[in-house]
Parts: sequence; structure tokens; C-alpha cells
Amino acid sequence: MKKIIFMFTALMVSFAISAQAQSMTGTHAEHGDHDNHAHVEQPLVQGAQDDKTVAGDVHVSVKGLVCDFCARALEKVFGKQEAVNDIDVDLDNKLITIDFKDGQSLNDDTIRALIQDSGYNVENIHRVTE
Amino acid sequence: MRNVTRRNANWRKIFFGVMMTREIIFVFFVAVLVIANATVADARPVSYPGGWTMMFMNNGDANTAHLHYSPTAKYSVGYKFEHWRDRGFNLNAAQLNGLVKRWNEKDSQANFYVKGGIGIASERGTSNDDMAGFAGISTDWENRRLFFQYENRYTEAGNIDDFFGQSARVGWAPYEGDYGDLHTWLMVEVDHSPESEDSFTVTPLMRFFKGVHLVEAGMSNQGEALFNYVLRY
Repeated sequence: MKKIIFMFTALMVSFAISAQAQSMTGTHAEHGDHDNHAHVEQPLVQGAQDDKTVAGDVHVSVKGLVCDFCARALEKVFGKQEAVNDIDVDLDNKLITIDFKDGQSLNDDTIRALIQDSGYNVENIHRVTE
Repeated sequence: MRNVTRRNANWRKIFFGVMMTREIIFVFFVAVLVIANATVADARPVSYPGGWTMMFMNNGDANTAHLHYSPTAKYSVGYKFEHWRDRGFNLNAAQLNGLVKRWNEKDSQANFYVKGGIGIASERGTSNDDMAGFAGISTDWENRRLFFQYENRYTEAGNIDDFFGQSARVGWAPYEGDYGDLHTWLMVEVDHSPESEDSFTVTPLMRFFKGVHLVEAGMSNQGEALFNYVLRY
């Protein structure tokens, strides 16, 4: 039993260290590469609150989008957002299209963070302005 | 107990028993790596934030059920039940799964997980219960047409049993379905249990995946049925 407790502890400690390291990497990366990890710790931005938030649909090219489970993850996460009316996932092109409710939107940083917290990465974001 | 002969495994004992016979031909074969009569394929042990997953896995060695919840996309916590037929014990455990690293590329995804659990092993037919635990790793790579997976696990069932097992899988999708379509995979799983008489088992199988449901069915080279069901919501 000692062996299994040792192995279990070792695995979980390594996991915790790894998670912490990735979290720190993400914190540093927020100032530069937005494809790295960046948790949403503040209330999500809704409405046109900064210069990156523009009304209209948003097309997001997503890295790691290879299966239905991945697609469902993004659908679930964005479906919980008050500003989101609908989301369409195109597995062929690894593209999601976010349809916002009238007068509402999410800024680019929030979209990136939501996708990263879902376990995926953003390649680029394209806004279709009205 | 430790040198379990798998030839005597009775597929009728398998949950959701499937009507499969030895006539089922091994349609696919791919040479693969190493692997055990004791590993259960815990595909994607971590879900999306807020996601629940139920997994029922059945093969020549064991029937297992695993219910887990993922607070974030980095880890999941859950309950695991395992019924080891020839080894003669049941295991009830709390299981923790962690996604150590994910590599997201434009057309592919790779993952490295650690998994562990602690609970109680109960020897069937006796009053012998003891603390038990298991730990292992899992790694996979997939794009929309190819799939590779390797995993291993060391299990210690107190004073009842202890064993190591590992498995590998190769999969190929004959077509690319879009989101919501029926996805079909042809796979081969190789299991390796170093301590068993028949230490290698090869199991061709088919995976069907639609919506929140994933079903896998196959037959090993030792005539043992495999049937897995995963529900993710």
C-alpha cells in the first residue's frame, strides 16, 4: 500500500506543479502572446466596453478543435454567456462562429480566455462588423 | 490469483453483453506496441468545465464504471467501481484525473494525463476488505482521421492482489463527419499484462460516436468481447 500511496502522491504533486507552471506562464503571456493560458478572473465583459469590442458575429479559428467533444465543450462554455445568442462549430475548418444578442458582445481577450479555459487555443479572431 | 488465465473468461458475464461470436473476423490489424490484460481505456478522463462523464467499460478482464465531474478543463474528480472477474475482487474508489499538458495544433491535439485513485478492495466470497489504490498515465494524439493512445496503470488491491497493465490503441476514421454527425472509427487495441500467461491481447474494435454518446464494440483474439459506453454531458 505504501507503493500506491507514494505513486499517487507523486503523480498528483507533479500534476500540481505542472498546472502551477502553466498558470504562471499564462500570467506572463497575457502581456504578449495571447495564445497562451489566461484565466478569466474578472466578470466577463459584455457590451461595447472597450476598443476591441464591436457588435456583430465573430469568427474564431481554434487550434485543437478535432472532435465532437471539443466542439461540444466550446458550445457549452459559450452557451453559458449571457451575451451569446448562438454558436456554430465548423470542424472542417476548425472555426467557430459566435452570434451575439442585439447590442451585446464579448471582447477579444474574453473570447480567448473562454476558449483557453475550455482547453483549446485561439489562432485568430475575425469580426464581422455590421 | 495473480497468474490469471484469460482463456476461461466468460463473456456472458459482461455488462450489456453483446451478441458477438468468434466468427467476427479481425477486419483491421495494425501492429502496435506493448500492452495488459488489465487496462481499461479511460478515453478523455477530463472533460470541459462543468462537464459530467459516465464511462462503462467491459472487456475480458473487468467491468468498470466511472462517473466524473470536471470543475475545469484541467482535472476531474469522480467515483470508480471495478469488478475484476478472474482476479476475484471488486474495487470502489475515489478517482482523480489530471490533464498535465495539452498540445493544440491547427489540425491535431495531443494530451498527457495522470490518473490515480484510492479506495477499498473487497475479495469476493470472503470478508476480506483492504485499502487499495491505483496510479497511471495516459497519453494520446489525434486528428480527424488518425488516433493513437497509450496508457498504463499499477494497481494495488491491499493484501488481495497487485498488478501492472498497459495498453495502446491505433485508430483510423474512414470519413470525416462534421459536428453532430455519426463518427465512426476502426481501432485496434493491444493490451499487455506482464504477469499473465497470455500476456498480450489484441482487440480490433469499432467506435461509434454521435452527440453525447460514444459506443465501442470489439472482440479480442482470445474470444473475449469488449463493449464500452461513454456519456458526456
